[in-house]
Amino acid sequence: MSGGSSRLIWDGERLATELHAAGRRFRADPRCLAGEPVADAWAHDCALADGDARLPFDFPEIQHCRRDALAWWIPLLGDSFVCLTTLAVDPVNYGGAVTVARDASCFDSDQFARIFPGTVVRTSLFCALAPPPGPVIERYSGVAWPGGSFG
Amino acid sequence: MNIAALGLDAFVPGAAFPDLDLPDHSGRPRRLSELAGGDPLVLLTSRGWFCPKEQRHLRELVKLQDEFEVAYTRIVVVSADPPAEQAAFRAGLGARFTFLSDAERRRLEPLGLRETTDTVHDPYQPAAFTLFPDLRIHTAYNGYWYWGRPTLEDIRRDMRAISATLRPDWRVPA
Repeated sequence: MSGGSSRLIWDGERLATELHAAGRRFRADPRCLAGEPVADAWAHDCALADGDARLPFDFPEIQHCRRDALAWWIPLLGDSFVCLTTLAVDPVNYGGAVTVARDASCFDSDQFARIFPGTVVRTSLFCALAPPPGPVIERYSGVAWPGGSFG
Repeated sequence: MNIAALGLDAFVPGAAFPDLDLPDHSGRPRRLSELAGGDPLVLLTSRGWFCPKEQRHLRELVKLQDEFEVAYTRIVVVSADPPAEQAAFRAGLGARFTFLSDAERRRLEPLGLRETTDTVHDPYQPAAFTLFPDLRIHTAYNGYWYWGRPTLEDIRRDMRAISATLRPDWRVPA
């Protein structure tokens, strides 16, 4: 367990949270990494290891992916849903998104793959979270959506 | 306070709205305070998908979600519809907010919001509440007659008033 760090590292094949792991570093919703991990879950990592693969969170395409996540992506996953996080490169830029589920059968429909292509990996890093209640798609003080709060 | 005996009259400004614990439209257990997540909230109690007034009013609310999604404010709808019906209704509306299901009518009586004139569906009385993040009531609306419901402008006004008291940097920092 990572103790709630937001650090997530992706080398194109493997997700890691260790401080010195090789790969591209992102900030995830820290709640996804703070609880008891779900063993042998499936992650759909829609991110690239290439450091140039980034877009502003505020681009309409990235906003619309978040709307789709609330409208139909999370409902489509149903009870299989474990958690979901966008991946922040810095306070401005989106580097991808990870959806974690107990089975990978719906990952072909992942709207986040429209931005950066998805890779399916087995993982025991992520804990189960309640889905974001919506309709907020904005970030809270730069925390990766859907994390953060002003409360 | 005996909320059940007072009905909607119990929901006065400043009173605490009960922190409902109900399944959402996907059947997951949720709490109202968790759904508020530290943000202002508009909570609607709804007769259910079958009622044309509810369909009309919720379509209006769906228009407003495009503003809520960027304004750090939340929307929650409570009805006695089962989660599967709520999920279908939500999808048909194009809603991106949470519905809470009280299909077992666990909270209907304690809240005092049973619509006694509908003995067929045994639904919630249509009402709306604008709430602070700690679930204190800003304004309660009696929606038994359609024109008693908050318009989009009413909701905007309430969200502005709540946010102005809540956000320490409401006045632009110097």
